[in-house]
Amino acid sequence: MAVLTSQQREGVWADYMRQRVGDISITKTELRAAVDAADAWADANAAAYNSALPQPARGALTAKQKASLLAYVVMRRFEVTP
Amino acid sequence: MASGNTLLVFSPLGAEFPVSNFATLDTRNNHPCLDFDASTGETVYFSGVMPRNYAGGGITVSVHSAATSATSGTIGWLIALERGNTDLDADSFAADQTITAAAVNGTSGIITVGSVAITDGANMDSIAAGEYFRLRVTRDVANDSATGDAELYAVEIKET
Repeated sequence: MAVLTSQQREGVWADYMRQRVGDISITKTELRAAVDAADAWADANAAAYNSALPQPARGALTAKQKASLLAYVVMRRFEVTP
Repeated sequence: MASGNTLLVFSPLGAEFPVSNFATLDTRNNHPCLDFDASTGETVYFSGVMPRNYAGGGITVSVHSAATSATSGTIGWLIALERGNTDLDADSFAADQTITAAAVNGTSGIITVGSVAITDGANMDSIAAGEYFRLRVTRDVANDSATGDAELYAVEIKET
């Protein structure tokens, strides 16, 4: 999967600001740069994440299911909800 | 009315909403407020009658606001006025007047006040004492930088 489009990243940026995960000390522009970087990192490391999953999960889960799994784990680690 | 005296104060509970891109009514520790998105220019209206003691010296509009979560960056506003002497079926606001984006408080729950002086005449759509009018408030998302919602707690109109 390719990186998100600029419009999709803008949607992530807008949705994130509506969630209020504590006080934020950076500007909108700086936050947008972080969104772009997070998406780029996810794209660059997607293959490594996939390789880290054991079989049979790696072969049986769809890409969306693997992405959702990662999201659940990360959110639980930091005790945040979408 | 002497210069500097308050003419009107609007509360979030008196807001009127457009059909799209509207700020949303909320509370913060039981304080009513209007939440304005950081990425989309959202709007509310307030309607009133210009007090009879408005002396024609122009008005200063002050927006009392706080950031929902931001502790840095700026919040700005666009203010426009509409005299109620034309067909109400069509909007006829004067040009936006800008409250320049100003730094939010380092504590997100502390209010800051931004103001703009609007000269009597065309800039305030020539509203005269005793006339019905509307005030439009829009967050200036194109020119401010604070992340998250801006919370509007009050709008004051005073004689400049």
